[in-house]
Amino acid sequence: METQNKPTPYAREFEVQKRRRDAPFFEKHAHAGKTIVKVLDYVILCLLTLTTFYPILLVILNSFKNRYTISKKPFDWLNSSNFVGWSNYAKGINQSKFWNAFANSVYITVVSVILILLLSAMAAWYLTRVKTWWTKTLYYLFVFSMIIPFQMVMLPLTGVFGWLMPSDLPSDTGYLYKIFITVLVYIGYGAGLSTFIFSGFIQGIPKEVEEAAMIDGCNTPQVFFRIDLPLLKPVTVTVAVLNVMWIWNDFLLPYLLLGTRAGETTLPVAIQIANQGGYGDINMGAFMAMIVLSILPVIIFYIIGQKYIIKGVTAGAVKG
Amino acid sequence: MEQSIILRSLKGEKREMAKYYKKWFPLFVLPLLICFAFFVILPFGMGFFFSFTKYKTIADCTWTGWTNYALAFSGDSTFWHAFGMTVAFVIVTMLIINVCAYLLALLLTKGLKGTSFFRAIFFMPNLIGGIVLGYIWNLLLNGILLQFDQNLTSKVSYGFWGLVLLTCWQQIGYMMVIYIAAINGVPNEVLESAKIDGASRFKTTTHVLLPMTLPAITICSFMTLTNGFKLYDQNLALNGRTSPDNMLLALDIYSTMFNAGDGNMGPGQAKAVVFFFMVALISYAQVSLSKKGETEA
Amino acid sequence: MQKRSFACVALAAFAAAALVGCQKTATSGSSVTSGSTATSTSTAATLPTIRYLNFKPEIADAYAGIAEAYKKETGNTVIVDTAASGTYEATLKAKMPTKEAPALFQINGPVGYANWKEYCADLTDSDFYKALTDKTLAVTDAGKAYGVPYTVEGYGIIYNNAILTKYFALANKAVSDTSMATINTFAKLKALADDVQAKAATLGIDGAFAGTSLKDGEQWRWQTHLFNMPIYGEYGKVSSVQDNFTFKYAAQYKNVFDMYVNDSGDKKATLATLDVNASMAEFAMGQCAFVQNGNWAASQILKVEGETVKSDDIKFMPIYSGLDHAGAAAYDETKQGLCVGTENFLSVNKKLTADEQKAAIAFANWLYTGNGKSYVTKSVTDGGLSFIAPFKDMASPSDPLSKEVMNWMSKDGVTSVPWDFATIPSENVKNTLGAGLLAYVNGSMTDALWKSGVVDATTAKWTSEAALLKTSSVAA
Repeated sequence: METQNKPTPYAREFEVQKRRRDAPFFEKHAHAGKTIVKVLDYVILCLLTLTTFYPILLVILNSFKNRYTISKKPFDWLNSSNFVGWSNYAKGINQSKFWNAFANSVYITVVSVILILLLSAMAAWYLTRVKTWWTKTLYYLFVFSMIIPFQMVMLPLTGVFGWLMPSDLPSDTGYLYKIFITVLVYIGYGAGLSTFIFSGFIQGIPKEVEEAAMIDGCNTPQVFFRIDLPLLKPVTVTVAVLNVMWIWNDFLLPYLLLGTRAGETTLPVAIQIANQGGYGDINMGAFMAMIVLSILPVIIFYIIGQKYIIKGVTAGAVKG
Repeated sequence: MEQSIILRSLKGEKREMAKYYKKWFPLFVLPLLICFAFFVILPFGMGFFFSFTKYKTIADCTWTGWTNYALAFSGDSTFWHAFGMTVAFVIVTMLIINVCAYLLALLLTKGLKGTSFFRAIFFMPNLIGGIVLGYIWNLLLNGILLQFDQNLTSKVSYGFWGLVLLTCWQQIGYMMVIYIAAINGVPNEVLESAKIDGASRFKTTTHVLLPMTLPAITICSFMTLTNGFKLYDQNLALNGRTSPDNMLLALDIYSTMFNAGDGNMGPGQAKAVVFFFMVALISYAQVSLSKKGETEA
Repeated sequence: MQKRSFACVALAAFAAAALVGCQKTATSGSSVTSGSTATSTSTAATLPTIRYLNFKPEIADAYAGIAEAYKKETGNTVIVDTAASGTYEATLKAKMPTKEAPALFQINGPVGYANWKEYCADLTDSDFYKALTDKTLAVTDAGKAYGVPYTVEGYGIIYNNAILTKYFALANKAVSDTSMATINTFAKLKALADDVQAKAATLGIDGAFAGTSLKDGEQWRWQTHLFNMPIYGEYGKVSSVQDNFTFKYAAQYKNVFDMYVNDSGDKKATLATLDVNASMAEFAMGQCAFVQNGNWAASQILKVEGETVKSDDIKFMPIYSGLDHAGAAAYDETKQGLCVGTENFLSVNKKLTADEQKAAIAFANWLYTGNGKSYVTKSVTDGGLSFIAPFKDMASPSDPLSKEVMNWMSKDGVTSVPWDFATIPSENVKNTLGAGLLAYVNGSMTDALWKSGVVDATTAKWTSEAALLKTSSVAA
């Protein structure tokens, strides 16, 4: 195939037959004749697509409306009396310091996930290769931590977090230090699942490969970084996807640790603050705009990486 | 050939290999261990300890034994109402989500054109975070109910079913993706032989597909179960934080902790410990059930 | 203004911060040495630099200008820190044991004083306490003053005079009064409201009252401000938490609440999602004649886009509820004024050195009785604080409602109603009341719902929360 410039009709037909042969069962036997069923299927799918999108479209619609008409008449289409153009977006961005919250979310998510990937892979490798009583215990501890509900530890966690706060934190830039510590907290909480998944995968890497590398003169870190890490690529995607999805959307942890001052906290908390206005400060229009703005990056990210995300989710579930 | 001789001779020294790795512990495990121990294990232990005390701040606590637990489970407490709500919620969502997801997965493995497009679409709701989701549905549901002169707080059932609707909308796509992978993973030969045996499509589904995708069903059931139990963000955004009628367990625990009249967080912490045991029990049950299932299969 | 119930964040931060606090209080003594830095240019006796922990974030910038002016005039430095909204208690707890302990801080009333007793210096001899127009407003203990109110606020029923003048001009109106001056009892108010509601179309409005906002977190107008009336009726003026509450005047409270809900253009189903802002907007855009709120709402009303109500037409009236007693004493409703009070009392940190305390008092004196007075009442856009400051020779801020408050405060034959709601045992009581009101409105407003969901639930919660307060140790 690769040696020819243009596939001959025979080669093309071969490929088509091959694809048909290897296709999943139901694709192979799709009945071209049952058009009614097919049409029905498509109708159902399209309806479901509509129900999937409708809530989001509703919010987008309302983000252009006058703030006082949103709760009373959310379904009204835009008309001259309730249309306010982009002003809700302008207000929403300003009052909630949206870009700061966004930047904080990005920083925390990206840094946490990278560190979780690296550190969990390393720890998982060590725990899998070195079999002593305490590595086994540690491994089970990691697995155990996956069932701890956050409510149980949230209060002591805030106390522990407070121990690390120096008393002379500057009031305007001090939150950067808090964000750094929050990354460490996320590493702690992401350790369980990530180590578990990596560990399962590493068990499948034959030791002989590593031993061969050792013979060739690698020392231990080199064995890990040169041999194992590349082999872990597929499962790395899985772990990355799972962690990004959880950390980006997490609300309670940053709410408790980073507080509620605008600009100092993450996106989900910023949204909650916007709906919690004190003494009559809720601006429904700006709030709708903020919701749209916070969904947008997620959707863009999804459009770009959707194949990997879905693959990652599937693989993760099979493992877990 | 040469390689295998060398490897065989190394086998006796395998234990040494591990010993050689051993000294790398500080680099490989320590960083993670520190974060983990300090931010997860330590608060966990403290949480246990504090559930037996009356405490307002970490430094100011007095041992009270089982008082907090008694308080949490007394008739006055909101715990049982929240627990009942959570159990009902979990059962309902587990059923609806898994059935719908499976049906959708069947639909999307028929070989229709645009399958991957629809799959991507249905998965999307899962990416949107809990708080945002809650507020989106708050707007939608209140808008609908307003047409009937009602709102989400008019009846407890409105808040309940609204939450069910939201959760299903969010998770069906996720479970569907897993089911699609599972159904596609069933080997063709099995299905071919069923077809040859003259089985109708319905029979194929129930007698061949379902048993063969049982591991996926177990996994998805487990995930919907634990997700339902731990639900917090959506509950907070959709149902609000003042009225206890629609609070599920996680929100109720939070409310008990932070709205305590005298600042005593002990009872809330006690509820949280019980909550932990519930989740642990369920996880253990799932693991042992699935292990049993796997050995049988 | 009362603090928002961001108890969650406050407590979380407090749990975190109290650790640091607890550890340090154990080691540090009562005196915290601060560098008494002499400022550069002055020739007067310079006092040490002090800190003031400000409660209101909305005027933080104004304080920067004020501190500068103070330094220019006297050479003394005041560093103004501001606590984020809803975090004042937590921030104060965190800062008190440190080197940044404020010399000037605030307490929220008798309950706050109980918490901070060891830190409050005696202010009875200070100039600014002596300048108070009404010394009963201060937080006192055994005849000595420990907290001086620096701003008062008032709330009542705001009404649109233009609409009501139009109403009184109607030929077919049902009430015999011809102006708001004679509306001085609940019975008269109700008759007026009912008729305004009936003639809404003629007057070109949607209803008499603006929407009764019952959205989650937006019910504070009913669970604190309006709730103040039955508390006042049962106890008279109180300054400490009462053990029990029988809700003796529940019927009166219900009358007012029913009036708010029924004589309104808003559908009952929409109230659960209505926020205060939207409610004020209805008034601002001339869609209704009455709305209950406080003087802080003036800027809110005037800032609404599309607002049509004129500044001169925004007036206050008391919340006549039909009370016949204030505690044990008989009460004449016609002499009722607005509900005036404050949750902002200045206190001086007794644990600092004598010089630092002097510096704090000197600053307060300058600001409220000296040359700083102009800053107190200037509007926020002019770099002022826009307070209604209850001191002698203080002007009033320029917004219409503040002027009305001062008007009512100085009216002959009228006494303001004190803010008793500061003595509600806890947020839980308020939330129980709010939830009960919501269920009541959702459930067709039956008497049974009122009795069980509002009256019984609230009184039971009050008793249990008050008991909890007693057993809890007072945080120091």
